[in-house]
Amino acid sequence: MTVYVGVDIGSLTTKVVLVNKEGKQLGRATARTGYSGKEVAQRLTEQLLEERSLTTGDIGATVATGYGRVTFPADREVSEITCQAKGVAHLFPQTATVIDIGGQDSKVIRVLPGGKVIDFAMNDKCAAGTGRFLEVMAGALEVNLDQVGPLAVKADKVCAISSFCTVFAESEVISHVSKGTPKEEILAGICDAVASRVANMTERTGLELPVVFTGGVAKNQGVAAALSRHLGAELLIPADPQVTAALGAALFAAEL
Amino acid sequence: MTRSAVEQLVETASLTGREIMERYPDRQFFGFTCSYWPEELVLAAGMEPLRLFPVNTRAMPPELPSFSCSLARGVLAELKGTGLKKLAGLGQAQTCDTMQCLGSIAQGAFPEQVLELVPPVLLAAPGAREYYHEELKALWQKLLGLSGEAAKEENIAAALNIFQRMRQLVRQVDEMRPRLPSPLVASLLRAGQLMPRQEYVTLLEEAVTALAGYEETGTGKIGILLSGPVLEKDSLYLMIEELGGRVLVDDTCTGTRHYAEDPAEEAGAGRAGSVEGLLEQVARRHLTMPLCPCRHRRLEERSEYLQSQARERGVRGAILVVRKYCEPHAFDAVPVAKALQQQGIKALVLELEGADVGGQERTRLQAFLESLG
Amino acid sequence: MTEKRSYRRLESTKELQRVMTRYYGMSNYFRYWGKPLGRKLAWVTSGAPVELLRVFKIHPVYPEQYGAICGSRKVSGELCQVAEAQGYNQDLCSYARAHIGSILRPDLAPMKGLPKPDLLVACTNICGTVLKWYEALARILQVPLIVIDTPYQPGEVTPQAKQYVLRQLEAAVVELERVTGVRFNEKKLDTIAEKSRQVTTLWREIKDLCAAKPSPLNAPDLFIHMAPIVVLRGTDTGVKYYSLLKKEVEQRVQEGVGALEQEKVRLVWDNIAIWPHLFKFFKMFTERGACFVADTYTGGWAMDFSEGNTMETLATTYTEVFLNRSAQYRARQIIDQIRQFDADGFVMHSNRS
Repeated sequence: MTVYVGVDIGSLTTKVVLVNKEGKQLGRATARTGYSGKEVAQRLTEQLLEERSLTTGDIGATVATGYGRVTFPADREVSEITCQAKGVAHLFPQTATVIDIGGQDSKVIRVLPGGKVIDFAMNDKCAAGTGRFLEVMAGALEVNLDQVGPLAVKADKVCAISSFCTVFAESEVISHVSKGTPKEEILAGICDAVASRVANMTERTGLELPVVFTGGVAKNQGVAAALSRHLGAELLIPADPQVTAALGAALFAAEL
Repeated sequence: MTRSAVEQLVETASLTGREIMERYPDRQFFGFTCSYWPEELVLAAGMEPLRLFPVNTRAMPPELPSFSCSLARGVLAELKGTGLKKLAGLGQAQTCDTMQCLGSIAQGAFPEQVLELVPPVLLAAPGAREYYHEELKALWQKLLGLSGEAAKEENIAAALNIFQRMRQLVRQVDEMRPRLPSPLVASLLRAGQLMPRQEYVTLLEEAVTALAGYEETGTGKIGILLSGPVLEKDSLYLMIEELGGRVLVDDTCTGTRHYAEDPAEEAGAGRAGSVEGLLEQVARRHLTMPLCPCRHRRLEERSEYLQSQARERGVRGAILVVRKYCEPHAFDAVPVAKALQQQGIKALVLELEGADVGGQERTRLQAFLESLG
Repeated sequence: MTEKRSYRRLESTKELQRVMTRYYGMSNYFRYWGKPLGRKLAWVTSGAPVELLRVFKIHPVYPEQYGAICGSRKVSGELCQVAEAQGYNQDLCSYARAHIGSILRPDLAPMKGLPKPDLLVACTNICGTVLKWYEALARILQVPLIVIDTPYQPGEVTPQAKQYVLRQLEAAVVELERVTGVRFNEKKLDTIAEKSRQVTTLWREIKDLCAAKPSPLNAPDLFIHMAPIVVLRGTDTGVKYYSLLKKEVEQRVQEGVGALEQEKVRLVWDNIAIWPHLFKFFKMFTERGACFVADTYTGGWAMDFSEGNTMETLATTYTEVFLNRSAQYRARQIIDQIRQFDADGFVMHSNRS
């Protein structure tokens, strides 16, 4: 059986998806990128093949995307923006806007039905509005990253974080801690800060519904709720929001 | 083995200011940073104009705040180092607030050697031409003072001829852009801002005839309009080319805009070598050449000019580079992008620290080119 | 404001509030009555030659001052984001971004934004940013833009620069005649310029009184009371206000009353104020007995009106302002101030402007 591989080597996480010729997803795997995204991606690919009693000989084609795509020996490399649009449109064919928040960047992508990119905006050279911002703030509060969302949605109030700069925002968070502001409220404020920054980016591209929210940060209910509030729109979130770009890459591989 | 003219130019374009001065030890070099610096005057006064580029874009000289652009920071670091000690002087044409401060700081450090020129911001304002003429006249005297030369008619005529020929040759290269790799063209044009000008013209003359050998046709490249500030390296051009794009219009400070002139105002050939004639020609070119974002003639002139360039060359997308903290280019990116988009040309505003591009830029450029494909 | 201050409040502050409220009330009046009454309103840079505009009965409004208001009301951040969403880079001047944001989203802006102008007048003497900022305004609002290019002066002010500025002012007069339909009246300009001269002279005299020990004023006083010098040059109201302020300051000097309860250290302030925390910030100094007896920023409007006919005077005066000069000139200015005011040190505020 011939399979097609999509590899997404992100700054924090590496994702691999297998599809068949018809574009049906056969399997997916993720792991921390660490020092060598290439090796991690190769290991994940082998693991997925092994689970299905397949070998590298069964691979029809591989497409790489993500920050580490250039280093990976693939048949083609495609930017994560184009892959993201492709993957999301496969899951939600009517998608008009994709909002993706990853480890080191955030993007708003406007797409045509079928996943053709019309326009996109990405964060400036700055961590505000990215997963990295959440990670730094969670660290300052000594909260596990997975707990940020569940705690944030419990807050009665949203504490205002006014600094966009990650370093200044961190000291702002610390001063809130020392004032005794409940952790939940601070976390809600942090999620809100990320969401408002990204919501602002949608004005550069325009916002058309439906909106699909992807990337590792889409798993954070706190950010998702805040983003939905800022946009005044329901967000569609894929069951596995982290692997949509890898899925898009795999779909491109199947078309090669 | 002797290298071809093209190879020599490409190699020279990769040199730093210090290396250029070492290569031509018998010349008196005079540094400058902006395309509005009148190089003709420098050459006619017996010196070689040398455009100063940052070598280290992360340099943080304490005189400038960290939120100044890497061009100002990098050039100041070079000036303070030992490599440029032999410069006869530095010429600062006033452009933006940051470069104005750089001139002032350099003035403090090298009081006798820094010459400041303030071209009019409103190039078509009443009185602008007369004002600029007086400014250039004062500058001319100061340049002669620095070089220790007297004004000679034959030097003036020779300088004007060299620049006239240079601009003609660059125009020929520019017209070959659709068929030539973009990094090659960028290098050829940058060399002319570094090496002695007579040598440059001689080599470029030879190179232009040899460029046919570098032409590629039917590559299916996506035509791009590139606009932005100083780009002291080819790395952006390389990446655009690698990702399937080709720069057909280069409106950067170091690209075609540096050499451009209003076709209606082109300098008359072999004019009399008088000082007045020299000043008049320089003033005329600066007042009429395509606008940089620091100057103003008519509100929409720059957008309309870029629109017409894009149309003429049939570009499919525009990349508007903003050097981090460069205010004039960042402001202009908004209306220029809008104007091009209204014409059906997609625009990507790309922020760069310096002239180098890395993974983040690659993602943006690749996605942009994919969306055009 | 209930915050306890370690220094004395000026009586004139009440009059200042009245004067400024009236000014903004007047500006607001244009929003509704400008058109029917055929009176024009202009948005101008702080260093623009407003005397010319006043000849044509044009009401000047100052986006920079509005930027400071947005800062002190702590809405700049939100307004800047509005501009950023339109593509304006986050590194651009925050006065410009906040102001552009206030046009696009008046609902978020203090006073629902400034009343819309009939024309824009920018003068490049205070920075290069204003050219780009006002170009953006001209595009958004589609109204005429007049730019006066006052070339940066690296050394002494040159005759060619004066001549060039004069030519532009003459051209501006023609344009203003066209926009307003009013004929230029040179006599009127003389009268208005004379009032400007009085206002700026009074302001300089007030600042000079701070050489007294203890100093009758501290930097936040100067920052607060500079508002009319920006918006009311060339008016009777301006002359009246600063005469009043000068009297109060003179009285303080005569009575040996200082701005601070106890002045221990005398300092010079360089650059713009920290508008969002004006009092909170300077309190850190006043609590320790440090008084800012002089500053460079509010001195920008303490211009010497030079001799000559009024148009020439305006050309020179607006070209020679300190912001249009070299670092050397500005350093010398601080040194002179330290000497004149017998200061013990100075503070430079490095802001992104």
